Amino acid sequence: MKPLSFSRAILHIDGDAFFASCEQARDPALRGKPVITGKERGIAASMSYEAKARGVTRAMALWEIKKLCPDAIILPSDYETYSMLSQRLFSIVRRYTHEVEEYGVDECFADITGYDRPFKKNYTEITKHIQETLRQELGFTFSVGLAPNKVLAKLASKWKKPYGLTVVPETGIAPFLENLPVEKIWGIGGQTAARLARYGIQTALQFARAREDWVKQALERPFHDIWQELNGALVMPLFLEEKTFYGSIQKFKTFTPPSKDPNFIFSQLSKNIENACIKLRRYNQATPRAIFILRTQSFNHSVMEMPFARPTNLPPEILSVARAAFQKIFRKNTLYRATGFTTFNLVPNVLQPDLFLASGKIEKLQKMYASSDKIAAKYGKHSLFLGTSWKAHQFGAHLTERGHEPERKNELFLGESKRKRLGIPMLMGDGI
Amino acid sequence: MTTPKYFSSIARFYRERKRLPSYREMLKLTGFRSTNAVYRLVERFRQADLLTKDAAGKLIPGKRFRELRILGTVEAGWPSPAEEELIDTIGLEDWLIHNREATYMLKVSGDSMIDAGIRPGDMLLVERGRTPKEGDVVIAEVDQQWTLKYFQKRGRQTILVAANKKYSPIIPQDELNIAAVVTAVIRKYHT
Repeated sequence: MKPLSFSRAILHIDGDAFFASCEQARDPALRGKPVITGKERGIAASMSYEAKARGVTRAMALWEIKKLCPDAIILPSDYETYSMLSQRLFSIVRRYTHEVEEYGVDECFADITGYDRPFKKNYTEITKHIQETLRQELGFTFSVGLAPNKVLAKLASKWKKPYGLTVVPETGIAPFLENLPVEKIWGIGGQTAARLARYGIQTALQFARAREDWVKQALERPFHDIWQELNGALVMPLFLEEKTFYGSIQKFKTFTPPSKDPNFIFSQLSKNIENACIKLRRYNQATPRAIFILRTQSFNHSVMEMPFARPTNLPPEILSVARAAFQKIFRKNTLYRATGFTTFNLVPNVLQPDLFLASGKIEKLQKMYASSDKIAAKYGKHSLFLGTSWKAHQFGAHLTERGHEPERKNELFLGESKRKRLGIPMLMGDGI
Repeated sequence: MTTPKYFSSIARFYRERKRLPSYREMLKLTGFRSTNAVYRLVERFRQADLLTKDAAGKLIPGKRFRELRILGTVEAGWPSPAEEELIDTIGLEDWLIHNREATYMLKVSGDSMIDAGIRPGDMLLVERGRTPKEGDVVIAEVDQQWTLKYFQKRGRQTILVAANKKYSPIIPQDELNIAAVVTAVIRKYHT
């Protein structure tokens, strides 16, 4: 066989039903069965291939799933475990190349250009090796696309699932794109597809064959980038930086049953504020203003945007403003089911004196929260929290069956607690 | 980790392997998640003459590398001999875990390995993807359950043997799925 030509060798590695697979990999009793995660949200967050075969789709309501597939195993999400396995995915891929872009919790891009020589393997063999190592060490499968750039690699990984390996060398682009609807391309949504259809472009190949000057003139810049990649060029580099600065941070939480109690609802909001502030402090950022959101049982939203005296990441500074906002938007005898807190236009955290609060007071608060963060690092998140969040902490988010906790949270070793557990995924099930 | 600690771990690597780590190895040593962060760290070390580059552009120890390696720390005003000695110690976690990405834990619930000293409630560290050797304790998948047994060969046939007379050996009919090899047993008595 002739060696396949690659000016660049880019991989897209995509988890097959990632969350559901994490569950099936740790408990063999779930193997071969329709498994769904997302119990705490009331909708399917991820479903195993067995569940997909039964017609379960993403975001389907749980009651609908139970009708469609009575033997479905519906589990609460164990994000702690999923995140650990996600980190392992990236670490394993980094054994082969340090050029890895963590694109989502269950997917990444990797550039293996030039590694064929040191590994004494061609690109397809390296790709197979990575895919096989992931299956062996994580216990579930990934689908992989190997192509000259990100757009084609992402299309290729979707081509055959699960456990697919699709190679698109430069010479194989045209047949690969021929029957692919244009909206399957990463970055081309329904609206753009409709626009392209007006020019008679329905398949990815038709788009790739469009004249470049027309693409540049009739479409926006990102579509020209996509066009170039469909023609085999690499114009979208991999983003290798770890995320260290956020533009906005939001915390939104639903609770069941819905409530009319202003103290309880405010405590939920207060907890969201504390959570957002923990993240702000972790990245040493501050927010100049924020949006407070209440959602009613009938899915109406009351929203209020408020500025702060100074950009802050300290809950006590936000709370007085939050109370004023809450009083304006809260209505009596209305059932609420969620609260939210959104920060944006974030800035680096610096202490400046301001007109209303003596900076000495702020400095004290900052010291206190620095200690609180240290305590959290040692004893777990929310070891210390504000009295205003007490009611939200007392009951957990859900009193109904949606409140079931992941099994791991109750399967503890000596020295572990509900707040803090060992950072190693656990195999579960009977018979050990 | 602080900058001196990053340097210590690089110095330790140099001592053990008689060479500097590659960028990829530094990623692992420092725990950074991006190569750019490693580049920046290396730049800092180069500016401080701790590292430099040879004619071929490869990283080599800089003028102050040895001096500081002996001091054991970059910022300290005075040498701390104790710290240099500690560079050669290994954390319990590194000692217990060989392949971090493939290591899982589980809690023993049955008594099938009681004569091997593995009791209910014990923690096992197991490694996925490792090829089992005769006599290894393994986690196998039998009838959609994990089972903990000795991995043994009888002729060409693999059998799973309990360390408890109550249980007879399992002779798999068709394909046997060995999910992981037990690499450590941990029993913690106090918090």
